[in-house]
Amino acid sequence: MTALDDIRVKEGVDAETVDAVKALSGTYKHGWNTEIEMEYAPKGLSEDIVRLISAKNEEPEWMTDWRLEAYRRWLTLKEPKWAMVEYPAIDFQDQYYYARPASMAVKPKSLDEVDPKLLETYKKLGIPLKEQAILAGVEPGPEDRKVAVDAVFDSVSVGTTFRKELAKAGVIFCSISEAIREHPELVRKYLGTVVPQSDNYYATLNSAVFSDGSFVYIPKGVRCPMELSTYFRINAENTGQFERTLIIAEEGSHVSYLEGCTAPQRDIAQLHAAVVEIVILDDAEVKYSTVQNWYPGDENGKGGIYNFVTKRADCRGARSKVMWTQVETGSAVTWKYPSCILRGDDSQGEFYSIAIANNMQQADTGTKMIHLGKNTRSRIVSKGISAGRAQNTYRGLVSMHPKAKNSRNYTQCDSLLIGSHCGAHTVPYIEVRNNSSRVEHEATTSKVDDDQLFYCRSRGMDEEEAVALVVNGFCKEVLQALPMEFAMEAQQLVAISLEGSVG
Amino acid sequence: MVADPRTTATDERLDALTLPAGNGWLHAARKDALGRLRAVGLPVRRDEYWRFTNPAPLVRVAPAPDAPTQTDDPFDGVDAYVITIDGDRLDLPDGAPDGLEITTLSKVAEADIHWVRDLYGKLEAAGSRPVSRPFAMLNTAFATGGLAIRVMAKVSRPIHIRTIGGTDPILHHVVKVDADAAVTILESGTAGARSNIVTEVDVADRAAFDHIRVQGPDHARHVNTHLFARLGTGSAFKSFTLSANGQFTRNEAVIELTGDDATAHVAGAAFGRDDLHHDDTVFVIHDACDCESRQVFKKVLRDGATGVFQGKILVKEGAQKTDGYQISQALLLDDDSVFLAKPELEIYADDVACSHGSTTGAIDETALFYLRSRGVSKRVATDLLVLSFLTEAVDEIADDGLRDHVGGLMADWLSRD
Amino acid sequence: MLKIENLHVKLEEEDKQILKGVDLTVEAGKVHAIMGPNGSGKSTLSYVLSGRGGYEVTEGSATLDGIDLLGMEPEERAAAGLFLAFQYPVEIPGVGNMTFLRTAVNAQRKARGEEELSSTDFLKTIRAKAKDLNIDADMLKRPVNVGFSGGEKKRNEILQMAMLEPRMCILDETDSGLDVDAMRLVSDGVNALRDAGRGFLVITHYQRLLDHIRPDVVHIMADGRIVKSGGPELALEVERNGYADILEGAA
Repeated sequence: MTALDDIRVKEGVDAETVDAVKALSGTYKHGWNTEIEMEYAPKGLSEDIVRLISAKNEEPEWMTDWRLEAYRRWLTLKEPKWAMVEYPAIDFQDQYYYARPASMAVKPKSLDEVDPKLLETYKKLGIPLKEQAILAGVEPGPEDRKVAVDAVFDSVSVGTTFRKELAKAGVIFCSISEAIREHPELVRKYLGTVVPQSDNYYATLNSAVFSDGSFVYIPKGVRCPMELSTYFRINAENTGQFERTLIIAEEGSHVSYLEGCTAPQRDIAQLHAAVVEIVILDDAEVKYSTVQNWYPGDENGKGGIYNFVTKRADCRGARSKVMWTQVETGSAVTWKYPSCILRGDDSQGEFYSIAIANNMQQADTGTKMIHLGKNTRSRIVSKGISAGRAQNTYRGLVSMHPKAKNSRNYTQCDSLLIGSHCGAHTVPYIEVRNNSSRVEHEATTSKVDDDQLFYCRSRGMDEEEAVALVVNGFCKEVLQALPMEFAMEAQQLVAISLEGSVG
Repeated sequence: MVADPRTTATDERLDALTLPAGNGWLHAARKDALGRLRAVGLPVRRDEYWRFTNPAPLVRVAPAPDAPTQTDDPFDGVDAYVITIDGDRLDLPDGAPDGLEITTLSKVAEADIHWVRDLYGKLEAAGSRPVSRPFAMLNTAFATGGLAIRVMAKVSRPIHIRTIGGTDPILHHVVKVDADAAVTILESGTAGARSNIVTEVDVADRAAFDHIRVQGPDHARHVNTHLFARLGTGSAFKSFTLSANGQFTRNEAVIELTGDDATAHVAGAAFGRDDLHHDDTVFVIHDACDCESRQVFKKVLRDGATGVFQGKILVKEGAQKTDGYQISQALLLDDDSVFLAKPELEIYADDVACSHGSTTGAIDETALFYLRSRGVSKRVATDLLVLSFLTEAVDEIADDGLRDHVGGLMADWLSRD
Repeated sequence: MLKIENLHVKLEEEDKQILKGVDLTVEAGKVHAIMGPNGSGKSTLSYVLSGRGGYEVTEGSATLDGIDLLGMEPEERAAAGLFLAFQYPVEIPGVGNMTFLRTAVNAQRKARGEEELSSTDFLKTIRAKAKDLNIDADMLKRPVNVGFSGGEKKRNEILQMAMLEPRMCILDETDSGLDVDAMRLVSDGVNALRDAGRGFLVITHYQRLLDHIRPDVVHIMADGRIVKSGGPELALEVERNGYADILEGAA
């Protein structure tokens, strides 16, 4: 049974359409929809809507004011046009900015009280909201690895697992809306300090209307006892998801955080504009891994998620370290540059990325490494794969400030083209303002190696399998940087994303 | 309503210039360029294409008062046909090598029909897409002089265009290399406190164009050059520029490979100190199969100098079997100097091998120690390593004699730097 | 001639002591060999004597003919007559071998107040010396060490030594990466330079080089100190029994 077989036929959709959709795609596994009663804020964006979101989250006044300030700022901004992506103008008044399952109107006190339909949704996605040892689909290892999950469904968090066990270690892991209520001193101290309200068009929009997201606080000297993860699901139609994540790693702490995203298959494009802020103090280390598998739209470019994301880590402390790993296979349009501000002396930033664009997908993604402190190190490994009629762009900045003495950057950007109608682009910016630092950038663009393909096929693989294998090899360095829980999923995703790209 | 600073600056600059009189095709081409310039305006700092280089010295109405004093002929000793452009004076001496038709812009303007008509402002206009090049438009509109060179055979001696004198010259050269013909063009000179030079080159099938340009070593100059080239099937294009010092240099090259099996090599070696600002902006467009392009740019910067490299390889859909290479490297000799780079690839064909690399760093301490342990002073050892660093770019000069000449010139200028 | 007393050296970047009190005197006309296991500080000694950055002398002294070496720049030490044949000669693309040597020879002559060598004299000298070392014209024209084989690089080092005519020569693991024929060529080159006014310090891990360049004195270095000195027979002892026995005996 394939995932598509259990698409529920909604009223008013005839069977023929469903069959046609099945025949056309069938590659995107998570395109089904959860039938659930939803509660929406009125369509459109205004100060009232901003106030309403704030009220729904039972926020204190300072938070409402912060949002309103962002909203007013947003009204003065223009949508950025510099990325190599094209999409029809977004009508920001034709969106819902808040949608929550009706059953979430009264906050469930524990996972047992959560609507079974929601639990079922996550189970189907392979993310059961049970305090089980591991994610589904992964063989249990010798160590009983645990993963705590925060599940965000449209505009709200529906539950967070393992909270008690984490609390014992002093780790706070909850939804951001809850953190604003329960830990206002922490949120107030750090929110908007890495990605300011006015940072960019989408980040400013997010600052005004974010409805939920995850909050992580790792106290001084604590090694988080398990992997933390957030699973984002956009379900409702015409609804934008605006989540906000804030991670604070105190001195000497350590955490690994995973993020996954999916959405149903819909004809109309949907907006997702998230902000992730990470604060890392002396000797602390944060590893942030993403598998982004939003609905990419169909092969004619209909539907899909517009993914405009601002992610940034501020390595404030000496010897602090951040590692971004991303596997970007979904979304119709991706605009995303997880960045590192290497402020502390001897701090380190790493960025490992696989971006796959097939059919009509457009991805413009990369990173920024801002070297401010002495002896800072950064490494960028980007693997872009284009197929179909897709456009895939690596865009990055490496900046060595005058005071960032003795720093190093190494960048490797490789692009692979499958088929003669796609595009692969590399747009790095390099700014070096001292001479004790060394910056090296290398980039290559080529097609899938014919000899490798032939070798695989002569051993009995069909062309798609051979391409998937070769592409997995091409991505290996990045796949290896992923936590075990994600590596297998990511490998399969690479193959699935490229289905239909050959022949 | 507050006036847009771009419009204000453009109006001020254009008001101070006079469109040369006339009513023929050249005048029409000038008016066309002026119209295009009015539509886009002169650049401002926030324009993406000028993010690393402040265009102000080129925008302002009058050039900085300092004038360069350099008078030596850097190609002294090279057997070439020398054409000197001294301010507004342009005399074509006798003794031009066979296979050439050389005339001046003012002469061709008088003719109703002339081959220049098909090129003047045409390659410039094509090269302004997708990124506009307003100073090239300005040049097409207001050029005060220039050469029209038609190459009809393999020309035995290089042509040396020497530009001296003048305060703010705007020169526009057009070169047409016929099928199977070949020419080497040398360019040197100071040409005033500020100069704007556009060269349009049409290289026909199986033809070869070699270009060697030296800029320097005087400091008080502001230079903006544009080189627009269109390459036919099986043609070969080479351009190398040596820049020493110069307060402000922006060398733009737009090279379009339109015929299969063509090759284009663009290279530059630059060094300087203090308030030097040196910008290489290169755009190579592959629009045919089996072509090869190579960009090699090296800069040595000290005492607060700034180097800029913006280079792009565009491979259009269908331009299969493209081999594109680009390297940009900077050697920073002290902590005050700056290198800013944007090396780009934009690729719409799959069967290609394209790559670029960029490195920035200080001098190799081990190599420096090796040289010093042989008794060479730090200063001389540094110069040797700088020469070593710049060599990869100079090696792009195909002719042994000219390569050695330029290498010697570079060593000489460097030792005086 | 070369006098090293109680030399203590640490790495500049980290707090790691490499040399812990080296005492050594090389007399004019003599060949001293230093042998020792990896990491004993042999190469560091050669770098510190020739003035490479990254090391800090914390105690002790080193003089050449009574002149303090440690306060001088690398090129001043070279002009004073010190020469180091590198274990890993550096490649310098774009600088011709001949240009390099001429620059070096004349820089040293100038520093010593001597007249620069004319091109003709220089060419004559270098051709003769290159011939002895089996270095052809092509190798002289090519960029310094670029594309040279291991043996070619080492021969090139000895050619530089022959051209610069230093008073005190240090050979750092010159035998590494050499086959038997190349080793003979290199050794012949070194032996030809032996004379009453010149001292040699040959650093090597293996005894085999010392079959060709016969030392007068052999020192064993371990953990940043000279732990044992003796005649050529000491090298043979290392060859037979390895370092472990000797180090034990010395302890």
